[in-house]
Amino acid sequence: MALNPFFLQGSSNEQFLIQDLVNEQLKIYGIEVYYLPRKFIDTDKIFRESQTSKFDDNFIIEAYLNNYDGYAPGSDIMTKFGLRLKNEINLIISKERFEEYITPILSGRVQGIELGFINDYDLEVVTRPREGDLIYFPLGERFFEVKRVEHEKPFYQLGKNYIYELQCELFEYENEDIDTTIEEIDRKLEDEGYITSLILGGTISEATATADIDDGVVSQIILSDDGSFYSSNPIVSIQNSPSFTLSNDSTDNATAVAITTSVGNVRSIKSIRITNGGRGYNISNPPLVTITDSSGSGAIATAVVSNGSINALQITNPGSEYYIEPIVTIGGPSVGQTASARAIFNPITGEISGIQIVNSGYGYTEAPTVQISSASTVSIGGTYLYNETVIGSLSGTIAQVKYYNSRTDLNQSNPPGDLRVSINSGQFSPGEVIVGSASSAAYILKSYDNDNYGEEYDANEEIETEADSIIDFTEINPFGEF
Amino acid sequence: MLGTYFYHEIIRKTIVGFGTLFNNIYIRHLNKDGSVADETKVGLSYGPTQKFLAKIQQQEDLSKPIAITLPRMSFEMVGLQYDPARKTSVTQTFRACDDNGNIKKVYMPVPYNVTFELSIYSKLNDDALQIVEQILPFFQPSFNLTIDLIDSIGEKKDIPIVMDSIDMQDDYEGDFATRRALIYTLRFTAKTYLFGPIADSTDGLIRKVQVDLYSDTNTQTAKREMRYTVVPDPIDAEPGDDFGFTELWETFSDSKEYSPTQQTDI
Repeated sequence: MALNPFFLQGSSNEQFLIQDLVNEQLKIYGIEVYYLPRKFIDTDKIFRESQTSKFDDNFIIEAYLNNYDGYAPGSDIMTKFGLRLKNEINLIISKERFEEYITPILSGRVQGIELGFINDYDLEVVTRPREGDLIYFPLGERFFEVKRVEHEKPFYQLGKNYIYELQCELFEYENEDIDTTIEEIDRKLEDEGYITSLILGGTISEATATADIDDGVVSQIILSDDGSFYSSNPIVSIQNSPSFTLSNDSTDNATAVAITTSVGNVRSIKSIRITNGGRGYNISNPPLVTITDSSGSGAIATAVVSNGSINALQITNPGSEYYIEPIVTIGGPSVGQTASARAIFNPITGEISGIQIVNSGYGYTEAPTVQISSASTVSIGGTYLYNETVIGSLSGTIAQVKYYNSRTDLNQSNPPGDLRVSINSGQFSPGEVIVGSASSAAYILKSYDNDNYGEEYDANEEIETEADSIIDFTEINPFGEF
Repeated sequence: MLGTYFYHEIIRKTIVGFGTLFNNIYIRHLNKDGSVADETKVGLSYGPTQKFLAKIQQQEDLSKPIAITLPRMSFEMVGLQYDPARKTSVTQTFRACDDNGNIKKVYMPVPYNVTFELSIYSKLNDDALQIVEQILPFFQPSFNLTIDLIDSIGEKKDIPIVMDSIDMQDDYEGDFATRRALIYTLRFTAKTYLFGPIADSTDGLIRKVQVDLYSDTNTQTAKREMRYTVVPDPIDAEPGDDFGFTELWETFSDSKEYSPTQQTDI
């Protein structure tokens, strides 16, 4: 008999004792780390890569830090891709603690996936620590990715293994969703990844306008030929009103502007809108309309003269936070045709700068009501929460809040400032309302910058700015403008 | 001998022009239902940098919580070679006009090839493929960039950017202590031109042409009898302007001749 018969060489009780001693040692000499298991949102089965992952669970567990002399020297290296950190740590955790604390919770999630209660992610292998999971190391305030799990060291003492050694390296971040609800952890990524900046508008006020009506008004200008090769500002001239010779009042004369459109690098007239319908024109002898331009030609338009038509729309309040064109609704006459108009907004100030008449109608006996739709149907205000999801009301783009400059003294000259978001599903567009999913905070987007905010490595914008003055993209940059 | 100072920043402009081709590339990741989970503009930078600057800018917080953010692209100039295939006569000159209307005498530029490397570092193979696929179709194998090489004389040159090779490195094999590195390296050659110093030309801008006609080939005895004069219209037109000409025919019987030195008929 080779073994000593007075020892059991690995009875359950001996193994339990060793495990308890290991657990005790880890609780005494260990440190608390956060174990963040990876949830697989989308996995490419061909390339065998986890395309999208999230880490929204956290388990605080005791671990022995096996780096008695710190990180290895030379952990920060200079590469052609900028600075890259290679810090590594080795952590020892208790096998029993993992299996009794973390495994049951993750197994419950797996069961939820199998039963269809959870369908937005998958989980793989929950009985042991997994490569690819994250460890948040509070002492260094860093995220480490588990590269390898060693489970047989020490090697079967008393017939069993008692610990896992996690060999970890600093995490390479690529827009993974890390939302553990622990602010200390989540906030560490506040400035990391692809972060875009949104400038939000302040409180909104609705623009108002009034209409003037008169007889002999140029109520519509019909375009019968759109011409070609126009510049963006062709001039529309309308013959003077017969009443002008008597009154010498320039408002008797109709004025209009041309709206152009460009297709295939050929710009033509899209429509002609009236800025002042004038008065005193002869219905049966409408004035001549001429369109002149430095480069284009060929456009032909004719005027229609009507009685009881709107000849001017006066803005009584320019409103605020208009970054997309609002809808102008004009009341109709009891008998006749309802007028229609388009609002012009200033994208810098957000105010309505003018209203152009598309068709000034006819048959009005009194000035109709004019209503300009509000910049938002959603009430504006609130405070965005860190890591909450926001959605753009028009673009449908979804993103996560990384920073919000909350202010209480909101007004026109004091907008709420910056909202910075990450993990964007697309691009936001000015004028839309950015609504917080949890906070219900909502503000109108004034401008959107898709440059990576605060990332010192990225020089995309600087390269573009310098190139703009030296590159001649006579047609278009096929790679897209920055 | 070579001491005349000049610096047209042509190589710098070629570098910037090359870089701007790749500064607006996006990649996307999907959700489980196929919708877009995130869209990322791929960061681009000129690779070589001062080490201390990189350290203080990119690791402002010494406890930077992550190793690096990916994907990233970097580009750098890796070589300059004379291109004999595009050689022109070294003595040939051309005239150009600067912003102030002064005539400049410019020697023909010297053809040089600038070699670039564009490196793509990604975490996922699919990310790298998304980036590469947005670049390659534009190079067959070259893509022409028109660069204003010397702004002062408005010298715009078509610079073909030729794709030379594509290498990829995917270190997925080996022990688990070493992380997978997925790097694509695209090599390009930009066929640029280098200009030497640009001198003021002693020649003025020709604003008037005058031709005198004689009735005999012996101009010692014969006097000019007819004169053709042509001047630009307007008279102060610059070479870049859209201008016409005014022609004038005159006949003479005064037996005078034009003196180029006194610039009048005597």
